Amino acid sequence: MIFSRRNLMLGAGAVAVATGVGGFAFVRNASAAVETGAAAPAFSVQDANGQTRTLSEFAGRTVVLEWTNNGCPYVRKHYDSSNMQTLQREAAAAGVVWLTVISSAEGEQGYLDGAGALARARQENAAPTAILLDPSGTMGRAYGARTTPHMYVINGEGRLVYQGAIDDQPSARPSSLEGANNYVRAALADVAAGRPVQTAQTTPYGCSVKYRA
Amino acid sequence: MRLTLLLAVFAALILGAPLARAEPFSTERVEVELHSARAAIAPGESFTIVLRQKIIEGWHTYWVNPGDSGEATDISWTLPEGFQTGEMQWPAPEAIPFDILMNYGYSGEVLYPIQITAPANARIGENVTLIAALYWLVCSDVCIPEEGTVSLTLPVAAQGADDPQWAPRIAEALAAIPQPNASIQAHITEGTPARLSITLPDAASVRDAHFFPYSRDAIDHAAPQAASSGAQGVSFVLRPGAANNLGDGPLEGVVTLTRENGEHVAFEITAQPGPVLPDTGGAPLQSAPAVEPMAWTAVLAAIGFAFLGGLILNIMPCVLPVLSMKALSFAGGAHSGEARTHGLLYALGVLATFLALAVLLLVLRSAGEAVGWGFQLQMPLVTAGLALLFFAIGLNLLGVFEIAGGVQNLGAGAAQRGGALGAFFTGALAVVAATPCTAPFMASAIGAALTQSALVMLLIFAGLAIGFAAPMVALAFAPGLQRAIPKPGPWMEQVKHVLAFPMFGAAIWLGYVLTQQGGAMAVAALLGVATALAFALMASRWGRIWFGVGAVVLALTLVWAWPPITTQRAPAEQSAEAWSPARVEALRAEGRGVFVNFTAAWCVTCQLNDAVAISRPAVVQAFADDNIAYLEADWTNRNEEIATTLAQYGRAGVPLYLYYPPGEEPVVLPQVLSEDLILETIMGDAS
Repeated sequence: MIFSRRNLMLGAGAVAVATGVGGFAFVRNASAAVETGAAAPAFSVQDANGQTRTLSEFAGRTVVLEWTNNGCPYVRKHYDSSNMQTLQREAAAAGVVWLTVISSAEGEQGYLDGAGALARARQENAAPTAILLDPSGTMGRAYGARTTPHMYVINGEGRLVYQGAIDDQPSARPSSLEGANNYVRAALADVAAGRPVQTAQTTPYGCSVKYRA
Repeated sequence: MRLTLLLAVFAALILGAPLARAEPFSTERVEVELHSARAAIAPGESFTIVLRQKIIEGWHTYWVNPGDSGEATDISWTLPEGFQTGEMQWPAPEAIPFDILMNYGYSGEVLYPIQITAPANARIGENVTLIAALYWLVCSDVCIPEEGTVSLTLPVAAQGADDPQWAPRIAEALAAIPQPNASIQAHITEGTPARLSITLPDAASVRDAHFFPYSRDAIDHAAPQAASSGAQGVSFVLRPGAANNLGDGPLEGVVTLTRENGEHVAFEITAQPGPVLPDTGGAPLQSAPAVEPMAWTAVLAAIGFAFLGGLILNIMPCVLPVLSMKALSFAGGAHSGEARTHGLLYALGVLATFLALAVLLLVLRSAGEAVGWGFQLQMPLVTAGLALLFFAIGLNLLGVFEIAGGVQNLGAGAAQRGGALGAFFTGALAVVAATPCTAPFMASAIGAALTQSALVMLLIFAGLAIGFAAPMVALAFAPGLQRAIPKPGPWMEQVKHVLAFPMFGAAIWLGYVLTQQGGAMAVAALLGVATALAFALMASRWGRIWFGVGAVVLALTLVWAWPPITTQRAPAEQSAEAWSPARVEALRAEGRGVFVNFTAAWCVTCQLNDAVAISRPAVVQAFADDNIAYLEADWTNRNEEIATTLAQYGRAGVPLYLYYPPGEEPVVLPQVLSEDLILETIMGDAS
């Protein structure tokens, strides 16, 4: 009978069980994959030029992560109006690293290979430091990126100081850009001035990130 | 009604005015149109029109709060002078999950009612045209923003008239709009997680429930709400959104319910900060896929497994000593007739006790409690009582006291007596002693039983009881087996003394369970009562006065021990690597494999699996090498979130082992683990 050994063990077990099971301390985190103020998750992703990029190579510098999908109407609002490119140039001028991330899986809207991503950036006159290709969605899921655009600002110490929407106008209508309050621009200004970021977390808006199913 | 319309039409024709006319607009995916409940309007009247959106299959538009992505339909009016519009009204949405997101929206046909008021000076005989510029986002896996203009032309007449086609449909659409209900009370209670509780009439008939907040920032939309119901209402577990202020102020939104009869209900709530409303939780609602009723073949198989599980229970360490003494009583010389009677009475005792437990479970389940097998051991008082029982049996086996005297109220006392009553109580005692030792077979059979109808559940418990009673009954009815038992002699005393020690072991284990439930004070109190009990039992042999002294000592100790033992300790702070659905999601998002151990201190199988498999060095090493996170969901005390998850996997109790390979669906491991099994499960994924 195959259970006999097990039953003997059960007998021994009932008497011998007195040991607790060890665990590790964990910080609870309810609303986001990464808590604002916590260390930004490390990543190691190929960029559009085929180079491996990591968060640690930018240690000491402010980093902006921008999730994008060129077919998404919300992304279109910010690119067709040059709103995003302007912000990218402002960031570059201030020495801020700007990483555009594409987490669309192959075959999904917004997916681009390296050459495609570079061509797209040229065509749109975009100015990111690098375009990261994350078709597996590993980096996107680590950051809990939900929408395009979904924006993150990481300070020089590698802490996440802003996550959420690009601005306070959750609409795809170009007219909504007028008078919009750009949270990323405000967060970068706070970081540059050495202030705590005033609005550190907002609800992102846009299209869903087209992760691999 | 038709007559009035004809009259209106007639009047309109005479006056040269056309009928109500709608200019629709459509795209490849969405048709939009305005319709009026009134075919003709009178000056100064208020009436309802609807914006109708017809969406092709597989696509959806959004509610006023779209959730994690998307955008609600927007309307802007161009109206004739003096006309006024109310807000667009939003029907109850559907929850539309998409990967790590949750959206709120509509599919198929949506009717948004809008109130319009005509000015008192509207000129009779003229036509008025209401023009609406619309903007909406329509999504399937991709999203498309669309815009268009629709209009509605209505004649103004001295007497307004209903539109026979649209008036009833619009009345229906209006009635379906979620409204506040003064008789419904709602509280939002801060905490981790926060809880939303709502009082409801007829809460027992609720089968599914969802909460939709009006604010995008209020909650984490994608986090499971673990809806549950109690006698007085329903409640939800909520995790905060970007605003991170759950419980600080009122929370507004819509609650949708599906009742037993398939009826859908939606209403608006404004939850005030406050304590969880009583009796609004406990029984998980089936937001998880409903468990199918079992086919009869499956029921038979479950009964078969229950029978096997019952057989195996006989050799559990907490049962074996009790049964050994009974078996030895058959040794040589028991009259075969008497042995048979005792065997049957024993079986009856087993059956009655198991069925009593099953009935208790049924009662608790129908009262909306989230119970599973082992529920008995979630109460510290029961744990402590069982520990004392095992201790007393141990003392009896050591010969500290005999049952000839006054102590007959204990089950063990009655069981020790040779008579018919004794046989019955041996059965009952054996079942009580067996409950902590949930064998693997028994766990799956009972798990299946608890998700089924009362009849199936009772049948499965009966199978378990028959299996449990079978060996002793066989012994009673087979003289050949009886002869195999050695002749009684002084050796029996030695066996009894040896058997006392597994009893003490079982008592120690229950004491360990109590440390988890009640803390150090409860265990100290238990040890105090055990000492007093030992004294009382020993003293009872010295005569009536000493018996009285012992009883008084025991009673006083009990009074002292009662509070620490009966206070259930609040769930421990989650400092260990504790399980939560959010934690699992976060770890999976990091691309890590996750191993979840649903366990409880009182579950022997769980502890054994920990000892022989999970905590083995090779397994620990493999988890570390493959960067697999190990999470523990501790069900030692009641926890609805865990009960809900167990139910999702068709289990009513622990253990449950889940392995989520990186980026894949979880694998359910068997309830009996071995080192190799875990390693193979992990390796299978690594390839």
